[in-house]
Amino acid sequence: MGTNEQPTLILKDIHKSFGKNKVLNGISIEVNRGELVTFVGPSGCGKTTLLRIIGGFTEHDSGEVILDGRSIGHLPPNLRDTRICFQNYALFPHLTVGENLAYGLKIKKWDKKKIQERVDELLTLVQLEGFKDRMIDKMSGGQQQRVAFARALAYSPKVLLLDEPISNLDANLRILMRDEIRRLQTELYITTVFVTHDQFEAMAISDKIVVLSDGYIQQVGSPIEIYDHPVNEFIASFVGYVNFLDAKIDSIKKETSAAVVSTEYGKLELDIEQAEFVSGDDVLLVIRPETIQIAPSNGMVRQNVIQGTLKRYIYTGALAKCHVMLGDREIIVDIHDPRDHVPLRENDKVEVTISRNVHVLKRQGSGPADT
Amino acid sequence: MAATATTYYAQLTGWERIKEFFNAKFINILALSLFLLLAVFLLFPIFAVLVKSFQSPEGFTLAHYKNFFTHAYFFQSLYNTLLLGLINTIICVSVGFCFAYMTTRGPMALRKPLKIIAMIPLIAPPYLFALSLIILFGRVGLITQTFGVNWEIYGFDGVVIAQTLAFIPLAFLMLENNIKSLNPNLEESAYDMGATEGTIIRTITLPLLSPGLLKAALLVFVMTIAEFGNAAVLGGRVPFLAPDTYTMIVGEADFSMGSVLSVMLIMPCIVIFIAHNYLLKGKKFTTIEGKPIASEPRKMSPFVKVPFIAITFLFGFTIFICFAVVIMAAFVNILGVRNEFVMRHIMDFRSNMAIWNSIKVSFIAALIGGIIGTLLAYVIVRGKFVGRNLIEMISLSGFALPGTVIGVGYLIAFASPPMKLTGGIMILALNCVFRFLAVGVEAGITKLHQINIEIEEASWDMGATFFTTFRRIVLPIMFPAFIAGFIYTFMTAMVSLSAVVFLVSPGYELAAVTIFDAAAYGKIGLASATTLKMVTVVVLCMIILNLLTKFTNLDIERKGGAA
Repeated sequence: MGTNEQPTLILKDIHKSFGKNKVLNGISIEVNRGELVTFVGPSGCGKTTLLRIIGGFTEHDSGEVILDGRSIGHLPPNLRDTRICFQNYALFPHLTVGENLAYGLKIKKWDKKKIQERVDELLTLVQLEGFKDRMIDKMSGGQQQRVAFARALAYSPKVLLLDEPISNLDANLRILMRDEIRRLQTELYITTVFVTHDQFEAMAISDKIVVLSDGYIQQVGSPIEIYDHPVNEFIASFVGYVNFLDAKIDSIKKETSAAVVSTEYGKLELDIEQAEFVSGDDVLLVIRPETIQIAPSNGMVRQNVIQGTLKRYIYTGALAKCHVMLGDREIIVDIHDPRDHVPLRENDKVEVTISRNVHVLKRQGSGPADT
Repeated sequence: MAATATTYYAQLTGWERIKEFFNAKFINILALSLFLLLAVFLLFPIFAVLVKSFQSPEGFTLAHYKNFFTHAYFFQSLYNTLLLGLINTIICVSVGFCFAYMTTRGPMALRKPLKIIAMIPLIAPPYLFALSLIILFGRVGLITQTFGVNWEIYGFDGVVIAQTLAFIPLAFLMLENNIKSLNPNLEESAYDMGATEGTIIRTITLPLLSPGLLKAALLVFVMTIAEFGNAAVLGGRVPFLAPDTYTMIVGEADFSMGSVLSVMLIMPCIVIFIAHNYLLKGKKFTTIEGKPIASEPRKMSPFVKVPFIAITFLFGFTIFICFAVVIMAAFVNILGVRNEFVMRHIMDFRSNMAIWNSIKVSFIAALIGGIIGTLLAYVIVRGKFVGRNLIEMISLSGFALPGTVIGVGYLIAFASPPMKLTGGIMILALNCVFRFLAVGVEAGITKLHQINIEIEEASWDMGATFFTTFRRIVLPIMFPAFIAGFIYTFMTAMVSLSAVVFLVSPGYELAAVTIFDAAAYGKIGLASATTLKMVTVVVLCMIILNLLTKFTNLDIERKGGAA
């Protein structure tokens, strides 16, 4: 990706209220060429509104929408080089698949032959050859999704807007389509904004994730950054499950980033790479279930090992979820490939080992939303 | 299983067995009784008209039909009626679409006012517009006198205008409902792909609405050709089927020709009913459910906005003026001749008596109609017997049957023993009951579909008999539907003219007939005053309806929340 290239899409300080209800509070985002950026957040966080603002369907109160260096915030949807694909596909039920794909091209006054060529090309692209003359209601949900996607691509838009495009499909098909969309998107190198409420979908498909909540951006980053280095409690618990543990930093060495923290279960030795922490800070340890080691207790006191009781053991095949009581606090530990693990029984005494590489958050910090 | 059932029955005494039988078969018995009622009060009168049209003292004859087709006058009457229906349908559906589009897609500030103005004609009888046109353009009308315009309002033009204004709400309501259920994403997608608003309407909105447009068109057509009042008051020397039927029956006591005209009137309705079912079969554009997105107001393109605003404002203003002049005329001594304020029309004794009679008749009709409608809905939804669909079809068809035909039918069917009803108050009420059943039945069906049958099954499961379940569970749940049927029947019975005009007897005048007579004889003040009072009653009724739905809705929601 050209590093000096200007971002294709820039949102600058977008504000939007519906009546008294503030939906977006100063959203600024940059989307580079060829990038797939996901807006993710709980329902009501403003992600769809933001997408509709980019598409021109909803008017924003203030701020700027810039596409290829040109401010387009004032333009109606028909004059923008963005193409939206709605959650319910919005395929025209009175037209055939082919006519749906040709609709936008006819509007652009392409000649008939060229339109037909393009339609065939699109059908091949989404593997729907031979479905040209079908009516929409004779297509399955997954096929309709492909048609909708192809229709949005018909007149190569500068930015593709996908509003929860696969949330109406069943679980297996959803994963299939998700990977298909990602494949086509990278292949065609098309700048894409993808809205979803599904964190794992966002993780799987994105170059960059924008986590929204209550109309504020909580964090922008790659899937790895979002998962491994969440900036606040909300992000940490939004993507995947997380155990929080209160701690106080006793000492921290800047050079080696080795730190000692004290918790209600004793002292832990950690590597805290985040530079902003100093001795005496109250912090929150973000401990992912898959980073914890679990074993039957042998009663020996060792570094970073906490004693507990196995309360529930839930076997799901690839994974076993262990609910472990540490005192009166319950934490979750994941065992991958449980068949190879030492057998554990409910009510066994167990010990859990906390990894040194734990992500740390400032306690009670209300996150970057205030900055 | 069978063995235990037999032993169970064997243990019962005779009376208990009868009770048990009723419990098991209650719904079938109910359905059968309701079907008999429909047969007697809806099918039989129509059948009687049909028979009469083929009857001579010697037996079967085609002479009456021959008579009809050989007289240019009757042929002209048929032609005029169909032409009127066609013109009305085109205008009403077009204007109705403009209104519906503006109230769902137009600027926020205009939505509510336009909706109100488009619905206003519903509170008045259709022939109010005949009255208004006479007040404005009659021989001594306001516009005729003030501007010296000499436009002959009595004739085809006048009827077309009055009918159009009267039936805009019907088209509007149906289309608005349709547009509202259109997924706004479809239009937005087209917009997104570069289409302008005009193109979107042409290529997306209208094609998607086509089932709704067709339905609205068919209904408007049926209603306008059947409407009696406007054509009778304004028709002048131009023949139309509905008023001609009246002249034949009431004026010349020629029941045979009256029946032939009735058959002619009902034919298009039947054709349309069949066509409607055939054309709309499976033609419903369904879309995949997603999160519902309310249609956001968008900037309308001036190429659409200007003509739409012009049309809706023109018709809205005309409707407003029509109402205003009727209210005014109610307080004017003799319009155009002695323009002074008087209360004598409002206070007129005969008019007040007629209003009172109308209220009585409508109340009886509403009570019976509400009950029958609710029960019908129940057997249609919950019954498991052959002919369920037939019962549904018959009970909904009354809506589309021309009132004139029902009127003639009742006159023929119930004129002699064993079912002599003519001359009483019951015949006035009963024809309204069966003509206006549709709304109560539909409301009941909708209500029942919202309620899971498991609620009733739970009641049985807990040991309640069918009858207890019906009384304790079903009836309370269906009460709102009963109210809807009751109020609707009351309101329509208040203003309905085309059937009762055949059935009123001297000394038992109804408001609708009083207005018709007064308007026909040029007593504009009396006609206006009676109309005004009638509208007041209807409006009061609507206010009660609103309060009741608010009340009952809350009630239902609370119950739902607790469940």
